[in-house]
This record gives sequence, structure tokens and C-alpha cells, in this order.
Amino acid sequence: MQAEFRPPRRRPRVQEEYEAPLPVVRCPEEKCELRADLINQHVLICNPEHIQKIHNQGYFGKGVLSRARPDHNLSYQWEQYEGVFLPVVSQSRYEELLVWAGAALSTQGSNEQTVSQMLHQLSQPVEMEDVLREMGWEGDTQTEKTAPERRVSEMKPEARRGCSLETQKVNPNYDPDPDQDSDSRPDLEREFNSDADPDPDSLVLGPGFFMVVPDNEDSGGVREVRPAPYSLSEYLQLSLEEAFFLVYSLGCLSVFLHQEPLSLVELWGKFCSLRPDFISSYAAYHHFRSRGWVPKGGGAVKYGSDLMLYRKGPPFYHASYSVIIERVNGAFAGSALRPFSWRSLAALSRITTNVSKELMLCYIIYPADLSEPDLDSPECLSRLKVQEVIVSRWISSRERAELDEF
Amino acid sequence: MADQNKTDTAGKLYNEILSPSELFAARSRSHKIPVRGQKDFFPNDSDEQRQRLEQSLNEHWSLVSEERVERLGNLVKGIWIPSDQIVELQSPAGKFWQTMGFSANAKQCLLPEEALYLMECGNLQVFYRDLPLSIQDGYERFLSSKTISLQQYQVFGHLKRLGYVVNRFNPSSEPSPYMRQLNLPQSRDSAGRQLKRKRSTSPTLSSSHTKARESHTERMEEDECSHEGEKKSTQASPETPGVSTATTRSADEGKGRNWWMTDVLPEPGHRSDHSLSSGSSRWDFRSIVFPDLGSREQLSSCLASPDPSLLPEALAVGACDFALWRQRINLRKVNMSSKDWKREEDKLRRGWDVNKDEEVRRCRNWTEYMELMSRREAKRKGRPAHLWNREVTPLHDPREPISTGELLEKISVIKPTNLLEGASRLKGGDEWRICFNVYQADTVADFKKSNPGKPYARMCVCSFDGPVPDLRAIKLLTFQSGDIPVVFAVVDYGDISFYTFKDFQLPLDVFP
Repeated sequence: MQAEFRPPRRRPRVQEEYEAPLPVVRCPEEKCELRADLINQHVLICNPEHIQKIHNQGYFGKGVLSRARPDHNLSYQWEQYEGVFLPVVSQSRYEELLVWAGAALSTQGSNEQTVSQMLHQLSQPVEMEDVLREMGWEGDTQTEKTAPERRVSEMKPEARRGCSLETQKVNPNYDPDPDQDSDSRPDLEREFNSDADPDPDSLVLGPGFFMVVPDNEDSGGVREVRPAPYSLSEYLQLSLEEAFFLVYSLGCLSVFLHQEPLSLVELWGKFCSLRPDFISSYAAYHHFRSRGWVPKGGGAVKYGSDLMLYRKGPPFYHASYSVIIERVNGAFAGSALRPFSWRSLAALSRITTNVSKELMLCYIIYPADLSEPDLDSPECLSRLKVQEVIVSRWISSRERAELDEF
Repeated sequence: MADQNKTDTAGKLYNEILSPSELFAARSRSHKIPVRGQKDFFPNDSDEQRQRLEQSLNEHWSLVSEERVERLGNLVKGIWIPSDQIVELQSPAGKFWQTMGFSANAKQCLLPEEALYLMECGNLQVFYRDLPLSIQDGYERFLSSKTISLQQYQVFGHLKRLGYVVNRFNPSSEPSPYMRQLNLPQSRDSAGRQLKRKRSTSPTLSSSHTKARESHTERMEEDECSHEGEKKSTQASPETPGVSTATTRSADEGKGRNWWMTDVLPEPGHRSDHSLSSGSSRWDFRSIVFPDLGSREQLSSCLASPDPSLLPEALAVGACDFALWRQRINLRKVNMSSKDWKREEDKLRRGWDVNKDEEVRRCRNWTEYMELMSRREAKRKGRPAHLWNREVTPLHDPREPISTGELLEKISVIKPTNLLEGASRLKGGDEWRICFNVYQADTVADFKKSNPGKPYARMCVCSFDGPVPDLRAIKLLTFQSGDIPVVFAVVDYGDISFYTFKDFQLPLDVFP
């Protein structure tokens, strides 16, 4: 007898627009070639446009500085001032940012005096014309250094470079591995300095500038526009399964390692070496995506499982299923990835019920004639089978029986 | 009168019949059940806590040690018969007869777990060698490995007290998948006959083995798996007499049916029964090749004579000219729509091997191959080479506009399966077994023992300290149970939790 399907629960307040289920083209004019980099054993997407596309169409990945979607901002309050939207920060916060920029600069080797000098020059209030000119109001791109503004703009690329180091440290996955370091840092800088095409509608953002407001209303300070000590850009981190799915099933992403693109077999091999049970977890991920659901892996740690399944995406519905992935061989037995005792199963079932989700065991069945060399290629996926089993508690007491629900 | 009985002997002979004063005392006992108060977080050594605990324990103790008082007239008398492991009733059964018990030899009988349950309820008094059994005696004698275990009894009692009707599960009385397929009406067997059959073929492996396979003991170690399958079919055939001829055929036919099971190779043990094999006693069917007369490839219209070892003795077969036969076979090509062709192509593409490629095979030398490659490269113009020019290509080209539904179907490489697939070839073991059928509590009024109908659920009892069922066990039990859900009753020293593992297919969710 089959388990009943319970419709997913909508979230009460939905603020997002649904763009598309998957990042593929709908009309022939669009092109869809996205780029990711394999840095320090993590897959990162650095290009902001690609980030937006990949995240908004299918909810892949997680912003490294954010909870879910990559929406890190140095300020959460914006204000319009003379035709430009500027982020608003308080004086104390601005000073804090200056201190951070100073720390970044001093790690580059500049001595204290130079650092404080640069900071002092950096934090002078600017006039709005300068702001507009800097932003390319006349059509210049941001990276061009206009001569009169050299003072400001000179600071900024350095600060940015400093900041790219900063973000490297801020990145919690920073791995002090000497080999990887030397390769990855220059790449990042190059990525950083070769900006994406400027958004023609960048009037909305005043990215290099802040509106600094005094902390208290009556402390006598004045609101002024100052340049930002550094600009922070956020990456999107993809899990290994998400990255492989985008490359293999949709063909829209390419993963680069040391600036070289990887072929599918190479990527498969690399991922399999990074994670021992990558094949099982990828098979489950692929299956759920091919049914149109959105599996997310990171949040599942909260509930003790491997994946959470969302319908349409996390902003719209609460997760419906909490999935544990298991592998079995052709005789439906075999060593479990996560051996259960009744105690642990009972605990997991209890947790899952308390958060109103359903516990699903997803068994990946490896047929007996699948040999080791077959597993070296993603073609082995078509030989695997998936069995979903829902685990639930049955209450024997009368009230339950009357509901006639099993 | 009754009071005189009380002061009979000095040696504290305990008389079961109560005096009026005792009876009155028993009637007016407080029926208060000890209330479980609020739990404290952790034990501190305060007096108050200790006092509360003691009081609660005392209440529980006095409740448990209470003597039960029953009217003699309400007690049904039964006799315990150890040889048959049943209880025979001496006086007419009461209301419980509606859902429990069975008739045998014109007497009303009860299964041991039913008898123990009724004893605990205070409806039954069981005598053995003319002495009444106590509850402790009942537990000791009625529950054994031959009947049901203590844990199974705890589950039985739990469910009965909630009002469910619980019967023993008998796998041989369940319709086999073939019968279900034919939609055969079942014969109604009372529990007694079921029990009789159960007694005659004990559920252990050895007895059915010796019954059916005495002559093939030497082959047994190799043929374990097929013999397990045999046990099932041989058990089924003699034990359901009311069922039509399809299943009451002899064991030979049962063997015959095994041959059509896809994953089981016919074992030599069976073959040697029939006088077909001449020299070799082992047949490897994978090496015996039957020519494909319907293939589109050009076969020579003459078949060589077959290997004489495959034929019975004294039979000689010459070459065969089948050109005439071939004309009679429909050799037209299948008319597939372009979508179907594309699907065939995709299937081919996924199992891609450069030698399976038709175009590559048609290249006769390296020059032609290089031309083919460059033609393909031109076709693939613009697409990233590292993805599209290698052994494995992505499933979908992102330049092709496609609807979401089609895209999802395109990438559905991994096939979902259900619990019943492949379950028929699994053999049962001792560790996972269905014990009981459970019927809903509110159907008690129309419950008929002779025709119980479909159960609400089936119970499999296991211990909390034991293993969790793996996929194999789940599949096996689901197959045995048919379309009735299987519930796992996990017993933890009297505390019972119930879990179900149900088949599920995630529905397809397509947003435009």
C-alpha cells in the first residue's frame, strides 16, 4: 500500500517572484553559459550575474555571507539622495569599516603611517557630482579611472584588492593549504578586477559610496556622503551535487579548475574523490530534481537528515520531506551509510514529526552487475534505481483508528 | 455459611470463595488509578521527592497486587492441552467467542495467547491436571517458541485491550500473486484448520526440506536458494485445498513454475528428475544460443545441426533450411513516430560506446573517421568543447528551448522502483515474519470468524534492541502481505511503538 501524499504547506508571507524552475533558456536568443570555479575543494560562482541567474532559477547554492540567498549588503537601509540610491550607515559603523579596511591594507605590507594616511584621504566627504561621475553617469564604466577623481578611485582598486584578500579570509571555508593558496588568490584578483558588464540601470545602486549618518539625532553631526572603504562582493557556493547537476543534466555550467575547464568524466572523478559516497548522494539529488522538486542539502543538518525537499523553492513552501539517503546492493541489503538502531530511528522520526515534515528513506539500488570501472563514469547513473520509503509512526489508540487515516 | 469455610484449618488454607464481608470489601475497593503527576527535571535528594516517589510506588504496588474477584458463573472453564498447545473449553464460551477461538473435534478451543489474554481479563479459568493455573503459570506455559513469544504476546494484549481483533497470520492462506492476478475467490478456512495445518508443517526449514527433498540431499548445499523458493510453492500447494487447480498441482508443476521466474536459473537438481539430460548434468542456459530467425540481419538460410549433447539420445538432427519459414515471418520494420525514434536514440546515446556508434562503424578507414569527427564538430559549433566533444556529454543542450515537463523527462535517467519489484525472488528467513492480522475495532459487531475479510493491518513484532528492517526485509514483508500495510511493533520491555515503512513515489511537480 502506498503512502499518502500530503500537499506541501505554503509559507504565510511570500515576498519573492518565481522566475523559472531551472536555469535553461526559454527562447532562442538567450544564451546560457555560466561559469564556476573549483577553489579549495569548493565550487564557487563569482560572477554576480551568474549568481543571480543560478540562484533565482532553481534555488541552487548558498551565498557565502548570507543565510540562503546571496544578498549580503553592507547596509540594509537605503535612501535616495539627489537621484541616487545610497546605502545608509551610521557613523560608528562607518568607522568600524574604516578600521577593517585599515587592517586589510596593513596586511599588504604598508606601514602604519601610510595606512592611516590613505584612510584619511579615503574617508573625506565627497560632493554628489563626484559621486555621479564616479558611477559612470556619462557612460563610463566603473573601472576607468577618471583623472580628477584619481584620489578616490585610486584608493578603491587597492582597497578592493585588499578586500579580496579580506573576503578570502572571511570565507569560512578558507583552507590554509599552501598549494591551493598560491593558485587561487591571483585568480580571484583577476576575477575581481575584470568586472562584469556594468548594469545600465546602476543608478539604483551607489556602490562606491555611503550615506553616513550620525549615531544620534542631536549629536550635532551632519549627514554626508563618503566613499566606501571597500566594496564587498559575495560568492555563491554550490554543493558538489548541485554543481554536477548543472553541468551534466542541463549543460549550462562549466567548472574551471586552475582556469582549465573540466570535462564531465574528469569532474565526476574529482567529485568522487572529494566525497566517498558522492555517487549515492548525487543519484538521489538527480532523481529529486528530475521530479521537479528542489532538494537542499545544507539545512538538513538541522533535522538530522541528508536533504530537505522543497516544492518550487525554499521561499515559497516549507520543506515537505526530510530525506535520508541509503545505498543497497542488488539483493537489497548491504552495509548502510548510516546504520540505524530503533532508538535513533525513533529519535529522527520524532524530530521530523515535530517540525511537520515527513521522513523519507531514499534507497539507491546498485545492481549486481555494476562493476567498479563502471562507476568511474556518470553513465552508471542510468543503471541505478531509486526506492522511496516513508517512515511514520502508527498510533494504536482509538482516536487514531477513528480518523481512518493510516 | 461461607464464613464457616474461612475458619476451616489452622494452616492458612486459602479458600477461593469469599465470605460476604470480603466480597463487600472487594466490591467497594477504590477504583482510582494512580495518577502520574508532573515529572521533575532531575532527582534531587529532597525528602519531598522521595516521599512522592514512595507514595506513587505504593499505589502502583497495591494496584498490581490486588486480587481479582470474579463471579464463578462468569468464569469459563478450560483445559490446557500441552500436546496440541491449545486450551479446550469445558463450559460454553461467552461473548469473546465472536472474535476469538475456533472449533475442533466438536469442541470449542482457544489459542494459547487468546487464553492467556482472557485469563488476564478475568473471563477464563484454565485447568491443568485438575488444578487451576495462575497468571504466572499461564505466562510460563502458554508462551513459548512453539506458540508465540512474550513480546508478541505483549503486542497482542496491547491491541486487544484497545479493541482490535487480532488473529494469527498464516502465510499459506494468503493468495499468491498468481491467484490475486486471476482474482480467485478464496476459500474460508476456520482458524482451527489453519492451526492444524500449521502444526503439521512447522515453520522451520528442515521439515519441509526433508519432506520434499529427501532424494536430493547431496545437491542441497548448492541449491539453497531455489529450495527456499520451492518451500514456498510446495507449502502453498498442499495447504490450500479449496483453491482451484492452478495451485494444487503437484510439486513438479511448482518446479515448472519456477523456471519462468526471471532471476532464478533452473537448477540441475530438478533437471535430473526428468530424463532429458544425456551426458552433462549441468546446463548453462546462458551458453545455449537459439538463433534469432526474426532478426533483420542477413542470416544464412541454413541452420547447422544442434549440439548432440543438447538432444535426447537416439535423436539425430540434420541441418535445417528455413528460407521457406523466414518468408512467413513478418519482417517489416517497426513504424515508430519521430518522437519514438528520438527516444531510441537517446537510449542509445546514454549507453554510449564509440564502437556502438553506427556512423563510426560505417567508416572504413581513419580518413573517413576524421571526416566524421569534423562533421560532428561543425554540428556542435559553439558549444563548449570540454563538455560536448568528450566521452560523456550533458543530457541537455542549454541552447535548445524546451518546456519544463519535457526537460524533466529528458533528465530522468534514474528509474524509480517500487517495493514489489524484485520482491518475489527474495527468500524469507526467521528474523522478519508477520505475526498477526489486525482488524479494525469498530467492525467487531459484524466480524465473522469464518469470513474475516481483509485485515486493517498486519503486525510484525520486533525488539527495540534488535535491528531496524533493511530494504530487503521491508520488501519481503510487503510482498507477503499483499496490499495490506505492514506495521512494525517495536517492544521495549512492555512499551510498544508502532512504525510503518510505506512505499512512495514522489509525484512529478511541473511549473511552467
